[in-house]
Amino acid sequence: MTMAIEAFGVGRRYGRRWALTDCTLSIPAGRVVGLVGPNGAGKSTLLHLAVGLLEPSAGTISVLDQGARSGPSQLERIGFLAQDSPIYARLTVAQHVRMGQLLNRTWDAAFAASRIKNLGLDPSQRAGTMSGGQRAQLALTLAVAKRPELLVLDEPVAALDPLARREFLQTLMEIVAVEGVSVVLSSHLMADVERVCDYLVVLVAGRVALTGDVDELLALHHRLTGPRRDVARMPAHQLVIEQSHVDKQTTLIVRSQEPILDPVWNVTPVTLDDLALAYMRQARDSAGPSSNGLELAR
Amino acid sequence: MIRFAWLQSRTQTLVAAFVLAALAVVAAITGIQLSHLYATLVAHCHTGCDLATSQYLSHDQVMARALDLIAQAAPALIGLFWGAPLIAREIETGTYRLAWTQGVSRSRWVIIKLAVVGLASATLAGLLTLTITWWYGSVDKLTTTPYAVFDRRDITPVGYAVFAFAAGALLGTVIRRVLPAMAATLGAYVAARVGTALWIRPHLLSPIQTTLSLRGAGPTGQAHLGVGSQNGGAVTLFAQGDGPHNSWTLSSHLLDSAGRQPTTRQLAAFLHDYCPNFRGPGAPPPSGQGVVQVVGPDAGRPCLDQAAKAFHLLVTYQPADRYWTLQWLETGLFVALALVASAGCYWWATHRTS
Repeated sequence: MTMAIEAFGVGRRYGRRWALTDCTLSIPAGRVVGLVGPNGAGKSTLLHLAVGLLEPSAGTISVLDQGARSGPSQLERIGFLAQDSPIYARLTVAQHVRMGQLLNRTWDAAFAASRIKNLGLDPSQRAGTMSGGQRAQLALTLAVAKRPELLVLDEPVAALDPLARREFLQTLMEIVAVEGVSVVLSSHLMADVERVCDYLVVLVAGRVALTGDVDELLALHHRLTGPRRDVARMPAHQLVIEQSHVDKQTTLIVRSQEPILDPVWNVTPVTLDDLALAYMRQARDSAGPSSNGLELAR
Repeated sequence: MIRFAWLQSRTQTLVAAFVLAALAVVAAITGIQLSHLYATLVAHCHTGCDLATSQYLSHDQVMARALDLIAQAAPALIGLFWGAPLIAREIETGTYRLAWTQGVSRSRWVIIKLAVVGLASATLAGLLTLTITWWYGSVDKLTTTPYAVFDRRDITPVGYAVFAFAAGALLGTVIRRVLPAMAATLGAYVAARVGTALWIRPHLLSPIQTTLSLRGAGPTGQAHLGVGSQNGGAVTLFAQGDGPHNSWTLSSHLLDSAGRQPTTRQLAAFLHDYCPNFRGPGAPPPSGQGVVQVVGPDAGRPCLDQAAKAFHLLVTYQPADRYWTLQWLETGLFVALALVASAGCYWWATHRTS
């Protein structure tokens, strides 16, 4: 099976500060993968390493089964949309398209032209005068028109207003449906991921807290509500991810391959948002015991 | 990639080409007038030419000053506005993430950008210096020596421009921000130019030394000799000499008959023995700050004659016929520095830039 991104013990240091440490993960190809994590989790660093903008300080990373920095032919296989959709403010839309054509042997001029037309972009407009949404759409067009096998999008909608965000994700989903390209999309907002992704990777402090097919993950996790109960007395196959207790009531998020049959529990499905947050908290708490020391002692 | 580099730098290149063309037209019109004036006023003048010469020289002073300023500033401007932002702007605005993830390797991208814009810099500087050197052709003959305008004529400005560009590109890559990189480029450029003029250019070729007799020398002429004081200091013997016509005098100093440089004490003793008139405070009229008061030939003649017997001058200079060799050497030096800076820029962009 081809892996979109595969990392083994990858770390990246800026001066003395490690932005990513010992990251090991496998992101499958052929999916629309949401890479989720709190700010500073190392998402951007990981994606920059994947597209070859950065070199790892430790470990190895490969993209589509090839070294991330194995040359221009590898660059052509990846369409990268960096955070905030960088474009040349002084070049026009048409000049950006020309750039894509001049710099990529695999460039699909017809696709680019039709996308610019469908988006209603004025080819003679300078990119610096476009709205954030238009910029993002132009940048996405550039990334897709080079006909990559993998689209890597770093926080593509973080800076967009709700309408532009919806339009952008709509465009992305159309492209995925028509072109069948693999996508890895990072975001710190679950709503975006929930809308477009079918595979989830939760990254906390450079470590994978949760990974898996979205439908499978949702089927695997349950929210249990019932009378107050010590989690130590839960059955072994029910892994407690998160617990909260109020007076006489306990709410748990558990991971279980088998159905929950205990009648004391009121079992409801979890949302992807709940799930990601639960794993983020769990990873954060286990990663930094010193910060929670007081709370645990109380 | 070459065509994209051109696409990206097209506007700035066209602006520069337009400015250059406008300048060339103005220079051509005034330059032709000037050479016509030279032909009628100066060239056939045999006696009493001072008036004609000054009339000719005052004809187009604004243009002369402007061109001199451009010759002086153009290489630095190329470094500031073409070199420093070349990669710094990509990093500062984040577009490097777009540029370096297209289907062209980063090495190729950097090399071609450096080559295309570097070549444009050299061409621009070359055409500018061609225009300016041509315009100044007859003026320079009357007003100055070739070495005095060494760094503003002929080919050296091309070397300076290429160096300024490459230094700007390197500093921009390292500093990663346009404005600080521009400031650093200006600093590096000025330092390189001043350092070269002071410490390197005089020694590019080992200079020639010659001794000049001081017999008959007065306050004027190829060798100057006089007695006076500087800044109100002690009275002493002053001597200075120049190399041959149009040469570049690096230094000149007194030597005694044994070939040694006389000490201050020896000079004082000499003055005490042979020039009693000048001894003591206030004997020569006190001069203004920093001015050497040279005593006229009549008053001090016997003293100066004695001095001419006791001392001679050692003059160190670069002869006129080395001008072009030195032009090529200095230009080559700056081009070599530019290549080193370009290599540094390439290495930093491909290895140290995220």
